[in-house]
Amino acid sequence: MRKLLEGSRAVAEAVRLCEPQVIAAYPITPQTHIIEHLAQFVADAELHAEFINAESEFGAISIVQGAVAAGSRAFTASASQGLLLMTEVLFNIAGMRLPVVMVCANRAVSAPINIFCDHQDSMSVRDAGWIQLYVETNQEAMDSIVQAYYIAEHCELPVMLCMDGFLLTHTFEPVELLDQDTVKSYLPTFTFNRMLSPDQPHTLGAGSEPENYLEYRYAQHQAMDKSATIVTAAGDKFAAAFGRSYGLLDCYFSQDVETVFVTLGSAMGVVRDVVDTLRAQGESVGAVRLRCFRPFPAEALLAKLEKSCRVIVLEKAFSCGASGIVATELRAALQLAGVSLLVHGYICGLGGRDLTCKVVENIYQQSLAGPIAQRHGFAGINVTSSEGGG
Amino acid sequence: MDRRDRFRHNILTSGHSACSGCGEAMASRMVTDLIGPDAIYIGATGCLQVFSSHNQRSAWQAPWMHSVFSNAAAVAAGVEASLQARGKKIPVVVQAGDGGTFDIGLQCLSGMIERGHNVLFVCYDNEAYMNTGVQRSGSTPHAVRTSTSPPGRVSEGKHHVKKDLISIIAAHHMPYAATATVAYFPDLKAKVEKALSIDGPKFLQILSPCPLGWNHDAALSVQVSRLAVETGLFPLVELEHGEVSRVMRLSTQKPVEDYLKLQGRFLHLFNDKQGKTQIRHIQALADTRIRRYGLLDADTNWTSASASIVQRGGRGTYLPVVPAGMSDHNAKAQG
Amino acid sequence: MSKLSIDPGSSVTNLTGSWRTQTPVMKNKWPPCGQTCPASEDIQAWLALASESQWQAAWRKLTARNPLPAVMGRVCYHPCESACNRKHLDSAVNIHAMEYFLGEMALANGWQHQKLNDNENNATGGKKIAVVGAGPAGLSCAYQLALRGYAVTIFDAAEEAGGTLWSGIPEYRLPKNILKQEIEAILKLGVTLVLNCTIGDIHGNAPHPHKRISTESLITDYDAIFLGIGALKPRLFQNSQYTDQHVLTGMDFLRRVNQGEELSLPKRVAVIGGGNTAIDVARCLRRLDCDVTVVCAQDPHGAHLAHPGAEIPASELEVTQAQREGVEIIYRTAVSRLVYSGKHLNGVETCRVDKIHDRHGNFNPVLFEGTETFIAANLVIFAIGQEVDWCGLERLIDSGLSKVFIGGDAAGNPRFAATAIGSGFENAMSIIDYLSGQKPYFDTHKKAEVTYKNLNLSYYAQSHRQTENAGEKENSGFVDTISLNESTACKEALRCLSCGVCFYCDNCWHFCPDAAIIKQADNYTIDYDFCKGCGICAQECPCGYIDMHTVLHE
Repeated sequence: MRKLLEGSRAVAEAVRLCEPQVIAAYPITPQTHIIEHLAQFVADAELHAEFINAESEFGAISIVQGAVAAGSRAFTASASQGLLLMTEVLFNIAGMRLPVVMVCANRAVSAPINIFCDHQDSMSVRDAGWIQLYVETNQEAMDSIVQAYYIAEHCELPVMLCMDGFLLTHTFEPVELLDQDTVKSYLPTFTFNRMLSPDQPHTLGAGSEPENYLEYRYAQHQAMDKSATIVTAAGDKFAAAFGRSYGLLDCYFSQDVETVFVTLGSAMGVVRDVVDTLRAQGESVGAVRLRCFRPFPAEALLAKLEKSCRVIVLEKAFSCGASGIVATELRAALQLAGVSLLVHGYICGLGGRDLTCKVVENIYQQSLAGPIAQRHGFAGINVTSSEGGG
Repeated sequence: MDRRDRFRHNILTSGHSACSGCGEAMASRMVTDLIGPDAIYIGATGCLQVFSSHNQRSAWQAPWMHSVFSNAAAVAAGVEASLQARGKKIPVVVQAGDGGTFDIGLQCLSGMIERGHNVLFVCYDNEAYMNTGVQRSGSTPHAVRTSTSPPGRVSEGKHHVKKDLISIIAAHHMPYAATATVAYFPDLKAKVEKALSIDGPKFLQILSPCPLGWNHDAALSVQVSRLAVETGLFPLVELEHGEVSRVMRLSTQKPVEDYLKLQGRFLHLFNDKQGKTQIRHIQALADTRIRRYGLLDADTNWTSASASIVQRGGRGTYLPVVPAGMSDHNAKAQG
Repeated sequence: MSKLSIDPGSSVTNLTGSWRTQTPVMKNKWPPCGQTCPASEDIQAWLALASESQWQAAWRKLTARNPLPAVMGRVCYHPCESACNRKHLDSAVNIHAMEYFLGEMALANGWQHQKLNDNENNATGGKKIAVVGAGPAGLSCAYQLALRGYAVTIFDAAEEAGGTLWSGIPEYRLPKNILKQEIEAILKLGVTLVLNCTIGDIHGNAPHPHKRISTESLITDYDAIFLGIGALKPRLFQNSQYTDQHVLTGMDFLRRVNQGEELSLPKRVAVIGGGNTAIDVARCLRRLDCDVTVVCAQDPHGAHLAHPGAEIPASELEVTQAQREGVEIIYRTAVSRLVYSGKHLNGVETCRVDKIHDRHGNFNPVLFEGTETFIAANLVIFAIGQEVDWCGLERLIDSGLSKVFIGGDAAGNPRFAATAIGSGFENAMSIIDYLSGQKPYFDTHKKAEVTYKNLNLSYYAQSHRQTENAGEKENSGFVDTISLNESTACKEALRCLSCGVCFYCDNCWHFCPDAAIIKQADNYTIDYDFCKGCGICAQECPCGYIDMHTVLHE
């Protein structure tokens, strides 16, 4: 059954079908609708869960740590400042290999304070050890929630589902609803063999010394690497159950073209339009959306790009004082693989700045002219309102 | 499982790396053995967490998880919610230091209480951030030497007075909040048992002397905690829904010097006139607390003397230990 | 443990015992009460049993060393109470009243002594022992031997058994029937008692009708001989014989009073001497309505803290009670001469005393000339010491016979019944060693190893000492004693601090921060693999059972 749903609502519906037993919530724009819908479900007994209004995001993610460790499937969501407030616990959860799922409704970070969409928040915590998936549409958001639980519980790694704030959370799109029974058969009952229980007393989060910390991180890294397979498997299994398939990447005419756009999230929608336009003009151009950013799918990405001669990365975050994050990781992957490929990196859409087709087309034209002068470009920047110079 | 002792579980067992004479280790052992292995323990960052799970060797013989520093109450709330959702009745117990309670932990603690979670929050109060090297906390009493409140030419030690946390907790009008200390085991036992009998949030603040940070002889940990109570500086009280329901009366009031002189953290007060003024201040603080809670004239037979008396065969013990060879599961089935 | 596995190992692999610089040692110690008890009673042990109302067990424990508790509870000068550590908290445990209570309870319930062995394997080899003197030393010795299966016969010259307990201690202090019953209980073990019988070879001042057994036949008929003949030869003033009825020895006076003789006494009597005998005499006289002055060469109690030999030797309790009963005591004074008018005694002339002991340490008071004072009295009773009367027994002591053992007052011990009882026990053990060639096992304890400084008094509640009624009996003006009852006895026994002996209070077990103290069924053990040596267990042990020893590192 198809319905016109706001992105937040779609996510809430998917969460409901996964039957979490504990939901911890602290509001922050633009995530609020997600938790409000969930609150209503619980209030109307459409979802049987403990709904806890935490005293802060820090509290919320902590509650989720406790709930999952105790053996319950749980859920929370945040964005921006709230996500950063959770940082300490994000690392803690990943280090303890707890299968937690949360949604990040991507939003810019203060200062200056800004409620609109970019990826600085989730990109800032990319080192925490969470699997990160970036979705393009409300349908994908809904579908990826279910897959996120599957992935987390199979890998024993936490999964952060990133969806663009406002652009998806507050936008209505038609979605194909999921069926409860199919979800149930896709997603087995949550079991966790290291759960806190008097029957089998475990210690979670014991201290570490120089002699063993490295090995723990290594084990975590290996698990992360292996998780790419599970992301793919989860997507394949989802396709078999629901008919829509997902993987590490989402490709649009990317095979054997000269120029490939690489982007994440809903910006892919704009890029698809531009690719259509350019291809109609005879340009050899395509696009790849990084659905899975952590683990970084170097192999899969390189396979798509090896026949191309230039890549244009459009990303909504950057590492201040260095460069674009995705662009940098891509360049590193290419260098390691010995592939010589020009990467043009563009920072765009920060603080919710609209990414228009016009801007993307300009970028394309610029890239044909040759490598950009600086390390990266700031798409659509108004130089007179900035400090001047890059 | 370490089953050397048939008479107590040793939930926190040997081999932990607490300092010799640690009051917190002592207190935690009492509390957890009174609660037993059928509980889930959440540990905030701090001395207890570090020394009990040091270098990937755990001293816990019950389910235990490190939260992080400030969120133990929230993590416990999550555990409790999970148990609630699954219809399981297992006590959820937080163990935090004064660091993870008074200051950085206060937000999560307040939220947990406000939402009425069925969690027992135990604060082992050693009056400073001990684990990181004896820095002052909101719990550090007036005029104490810590590394971030050192006495000096223009300083008497910590300037501010110890945060009255038990009143803050009680102001939530929550079911049960009490103070206790290691020197009075029967009193501590009664309070832990009372707490466990209540559904809802409950809070225990247990004064736990620290030989290292308070700078006293390791053998005197219990003696020091006794004097803290007998001077009136640490009243033993119980508050229910915001009102004082019971106090432990002092059989005698000892002068604060008896307590201060045993500890190096107060040594600087004995050097000069300024110090003497501070001692008088501390005495005034003790007198005020005694007056406030009526510690010398409360109408109760529960006194610092009656709570201390020993007798042949002991005064109170721990939960029964399952006989060796029987799994806990089977033992439960057998009742 | 695999480095890649996620579950941590257990801390019990971390042996923190290596941290120690001092080590706790748990050891039961001998408390000061036991150390001062001349009979070496395990007072702490029997008080512990009494505190649980295990009366018979307590009595058995007590009578392991002292078969006369109902007697001793009344007459012993209880040095145990002076040493009792409880006095540092509030007041000493009323041990003598407890002993008295248990003794009376045994008599009321007819409890029998139980032999330690029945000589089934003839371990005693049928050996026979003769005990000469049915006083506390002899009774104690006979009792210990009989408990262990030996055949014992006691001989005594008097008509009744008990020695000085019978003849020297007045009825108000020690009712005769109590003494008799406790002696009966000893005899029930199969001890033969022969009264009215003197052992000796020459004629002494033996009362009639009388048997006499020679020392030779004693040596022939018995495998071992114990002499507990007391010190019954009174010292005489200026070595004169007392030929008139105005001068008596204290011993003689007491014997006659105790035998029920009606003495005609003048109103004013002077008693010379400062020992328990003198005070007993004085208190008897008060009960016979006389005005009594005691003339004593020493100073009052407490005057010479460093040199108690210079203080009145009678027990403080007796002196205090005597004074309350109206006895006048004059200190540091001795008699210089008796004052007669004709045959009538008017009084005694006394002088202040300079030195009491001569340079050999002998009692030899030197009087200050010019300090003569007259004390009016029509009867003077000298209780100035007693010596052993070996008359007739030279054969036994002169030839150094190995089968002869001497104890009690006769052996030169301090003149206390409790000491005699202790002496009787020690000699019984020596006799067994001599007869069987094997030293019998018994606990020996030397110096007390636990002082009040080893205790932690925070854990004991202050409580009033349960006293027998030490107030005045109605209308009489005299101080008498009434026993404790079960409830008050239990309360009093609970006041014992159990110095040096673990009473399982659980303190160490509660407090150890390292789970290094393991509780067992009836004791605690220390797991030295983990003990960090903090010292809290030793500090908080109420009774001083645990000590910290410094660890020496090689």
